[in-house]
Amino acid sequence: MTPVEPELEIRRRGSRRSRVVFAVGLLVVLVILPLSRPMIGDSFNYVLQISTITLMWITLSSSWNLIGGYAGYISLGNNVFFGVGGYLAGALLVYQGWSPFLTAPLAGLVGMALGLVVGLITLRTRGPAFIIATLALLLMAALVFDNWELVGGANGLSLPLPDFPREWVRVPFYVAMAITAIGSVLLSWKVAHSKLGLGLRALAQDETKAEVLGINTRRYKIIAFALSAIFPAVAGSIWGYALTYVRPSVFFTIAIAAQMVLMAIIGGRGSVAGPVIGAVLLVAVNELSVARFGSSELNIVVTGAILLVVLIFFPLGIVGSLRQRGKLPGFLDWD
Amino acid sequence: MIQTIILGLVLGGVYALMASGLTLLFGVMRIVNLAHGVFMILAAYISYFMFIELGADPFISLVVTMPTMFLVGVLVYRFLFPRLEGNDRYSEMTVLLTFALALVIEGLLGYFFTGIFRSTTPAYATEAFRLGELFIPRGQLYGSLASLALIGALWLFLNYTKTGHGIRALTQNRTAAEIVGVNVRRASTISFGIGMALAGAAGSLLSFLFTFFPGQHWQWLALLLSLIVLGGLGSLLGAVVGSLLLAVLSALVSSWFGSTWSPLTFYLALFAILLIRPQGLFGDKEAV
Amino acid sequence: MFLQIDDVTAGYGSGPDILDGLSLDVDEGRTYCIIGPNGAGKSTLLKVICGILSPRSGSIRFRGEEVGGLRPDQLLAKGICFVPQDPSLFPKMTVRQNLVMGAFLENDRAVVKQRTEEILEQFPVLGERANQAAGTLSGGQQQILLMGRALMIEPRLMMIDEPSLGLAPQAADQVFETVAGLNAKGITVLLVEQSVERGLNVSDWAFVLDLGQKRFEGPSSEILADARIGELYMGKAPTIE
Repeated sequence: MTPVEPELEIRRRGSRRSRVVFAVGLLVVLVILPLSRPMIGDSFNYVLQISTITLMWITLSSSWNLIGGYAGYISLGNNVFFGVGGYLAGALLVYQGWSPFLTAPLAGLVGMALGLVVGLITLRTRGPAFIIATLALLLMAALVFDNWELVGGANGLSLPLPDFPREWVRVPFYVAMAITAIGSVLLSWKVAHSKLGLGLRALAQDETKAEVLGINTRRYKIIAFALSAIFPAVAGSIWGYALTYVRPSVFFTIAIAAQMVLMAIIGGRGSVAGPVIGAVLLVAVNELSVARFGSSELNIVVTGAILLVVLIFFPLGIVGSLRQRGKLPGFLDWD
Repeated sequence: MIQTIILGLVLGGVYALMASGLTLLFGVMRIVNLAHGVFMILAAYISYFMFIELGADPFISLVVTMPTMFLVGVLVYRFLFPRLEGNDRYSEMTVLLTFALALVIEGLLGYFFTGIFRSTTPAYATEAFRLGELFIPRGQLYGSLASLALIGALWLFLNYTKTGHGIRALTQNRTAAEIVGVNVRRASTISFGIGMALAGAAGSLLSFLFTFFPGQHWQWLALLLSLIVLGGLGSLLGAVVGSLLLAVLSALVSSWFGSTWSPLTFYLALFAILLIRPQGLFGDKEAV
Repeated sequence: MFLQIDDVTAGYGSGPDILDGLSLDVDEGRTYCIIGPNGAGKSTLLKVICGILSPRSGSIRFRGEEVGGLRPDQLLAKGICFVPQDPSLFPKMTVRQNLVMGAFLENDRAVVKQRTEEILEQFPVLGERANQAAGTLSGGQQQILLMGRALMIEPRLMMIDEPSLGLAPQAADQVFETVAGLNAKGITVLLVEQSVERGLNVSDWAFVLDLGQKRFEGPSSEILADARIGELYMGKAPTIE
């Protein structure tokens, strides 16, 4: 370990202040947004919808980053937890009349429990075999939900909208998703600054060495996987409610798995800020691409092409590449 | 029951061909090619249009799809993969790279050919041989025989040619192959080409055995991945045995519980094998 | 000059230079030992010479010809072979098949067959186990098989990286006997060895490396006797159990 040079020390302290300013600023924007209807006018609902979607993707990619970034285990099946959360809250709404806003935490717990079980099985493998196992998990979930009559098979379930004035109807979803996103980023930050995060990064570098150092790698990985399942499940319960339906094609598609991975990688996996930046960027790109091409086929091409370019030219992502060059602005250095 | 097993076996032969390219690539380069399925579908489209436009039988268009896909494989490998070399997470990065490639090709296929279900319809696709009470679908029997012939040719190539020896050496120990003088870059490129050519052949057969559409490739991929995990990643023999086993099993499941659930056989088998014996039936422990 | 390394720098991936302007000369027909502390660049030097790793700058001349940056198979064809420290046999092939693979670049089957038999005869340890899978051999036997396999191309220069690593003393003795025998065949040997005393005992000349540069060179026997070198480098180098 090289000792921290005095100059660097000052820069880090400086960046700490800019980080706090940035975070407070971001929070203010998030709070003001739902109150800004008089200013924004007619496009208010659109702005809120896009913001909700962005916050949802921040949740998904930040959560994926716990296992895919810190631990270095690439999962292509983490949207299973997203879907299970959505279906659980949706079914409870339809059959019991319980509001998803109340059952969302329950969905998070169920997601975590499921993550634990799935982790116990899939994390017996590493590298390519793990990727295969998670991909199979996703396709298996898609198959089950496509054919499960209780939850409507391929048509899914229709959910009633909450009893809310029409012009404000997007607000509760936005607020709930904002809380979820903040929660997931805080979790990511917490893990990055904990013994768990240190252990995960060690095993991502060299699992055998980490084991020799006395790190219980298996336990660490499983914990990371279970944690990575919590907030996607919460987000799923809110998202299904916002859409007014839950359907396999909303949750259990490869495209969603691809987006989660892509956002984290573009932003810079293994960093706290990376998935957030990646999510904001990709939602913007998707909006543009839908506006430009319209068809969903070309959107898949765009997603794939971006991933291809990033992997080949910027494998470390935005945060990683900037940090390597020493040009990462202080307010983005959340690690 | 016997009828179901026969149907499973003739399908299993074709699955074995589909899986052989995938397992070869993994064996040689530790690459899980997530674009294998989409390349199969691409080849199926080539066969489809050759059938519609030229009236070419899929067994004839196979002569086109195999070299075409070999070339595609060589180009993909040469242009995309060297850029990842030196990355300390090479094997992960390659999986993601093939994932990205799969998305791009899936999107392009969807854009040009739409999601309509298609298939070629040579006469034998709907005929069957009768053996008393039992029947064997001709199309599937031919497909299966052609598959086994191609796998046999691959086996001969690997065991009785210099290049084949080099490729086999590479699967057993990369450093060792390098120090005895195997040109690793060349052997890898050829393997990638062969893997793709096998996907091409499989695609031509797929075109008359199944209906296909662009988004379908993920289901194919998952099925093939479970076959090669069962057989042991990288093992050719394992791929064949795994294919026959699971094809029969899923045919039985399909006859007992309905065809909807037959894909579940593959996923459950995958998880079961990961739980009990992660290296598969014929695989190396280190591969997992 | 047989082998001439001039101002070579090299490293892994985007990492720092492990070899940092290293120069040294090697004469034909002698046995050289390379010693130095961990991280001095000993193994890296061997990998650069055999082509597994490309030099970043500098020149490597073998028998008057520039060979820096050539592929391993091209260098092997010139008679430069490498026996790495990590187990690099083909575990599922038999001892005999491993030897045959050693002559991968030789296309004349009769020659390959003849050399295989010669080696099996020369090393009874291998001859007795000709049809056994290489993965089932003991550590010392594997090391001897590695050297036997390297001999299949009749090399001019043989580089051996830590042959005694992880071996019991008795097995290590056997391995060093084999190393000593190479010289009698007229093969030039470059040996990297953590167990410095053993390495110096079988070699004529030694290079002392530190931080990617040559610090010192001289006859092995003198270095063995030189307390200063012993204190500086041998003390630091961990010896094998």
